[in-house]
Amino acid sequence: MAPASSEVEVQLPEGVALHARPASLFVRTAMTFQSRITVMAGDRVADAKSILKVLALGAGGGTRLSLAADGPDATAALAALADCVANLSD
Amino acid sequence: MVGIVLVSHSAELAQGLSELARQMAGPDVRIVPAGGGPDGRLGTSGDLVKSAIECAEQGDGVVVLCDLGSSILTVRHLLEGNGNGSGERVRLVDAPLVEGAIAAAVVSSAARPLDEVVSAAEEARGASKL
Repeated sequence: MAPASSEVEVQLPEGVALHARPASLFVRTAMTFQSRITVMAGDRVADAKSILKVLALGAGGGTRLSLAADGPDATAALAALADCVANLSD
Repeated sequence: MVGIVLVSHSAELAQGLSELARQMAGPDVRIVPAGGGPDGRLGTSGDLVKSAIECAEQGDGVVVLCDLGSSILTVRHLLEGNGNGSGERVRLVDAPLVEGAIAAAVVSSAARPLDEVVSAAEEARGASKL
């Protein structure tokens, strides 16, 4: 199958920042896919598989995140990450 | 999964960091603190590090992170004395302790091999916090 790229916008739940535990859940979900995945918050972009880079985004509750994936499982990766973000809790 | 050993002069520092890393990596990664000297005061103990490495090993290797100075000497001395080949699977990593521990623990939780866990910890050297 040819590599595909895909993008999606999601919003962090109100009151749930992308810090410690939520960030690690997000990164651990991203790491289950082969595709290269980035997460953008405002004008900052991070490798979705790097916990330190995701933490450094400093994304607060309610922030809109743009997720982009490039690779053989890009669509599935973004679906899983969108679901992960929607269900994050503190 | 790759085990993580946290060596600090302070038992409390190593213990607290192990709790933080465990919260982020989940319960399946063995994160073992080895802080404080033989007398329980500030310092490092080769015996404590040795037993921590044994405790952290699940068959996939162990990453060791240190705080400062003589803790690194303690681990080096211990690993150099290992003539049985286990040294290849126990890797002392040059990384900041907190960031390196978190990065290594999260990557290990994804069941990644030793080399990838080592790289994740080393990348913490250049990671900006702000």
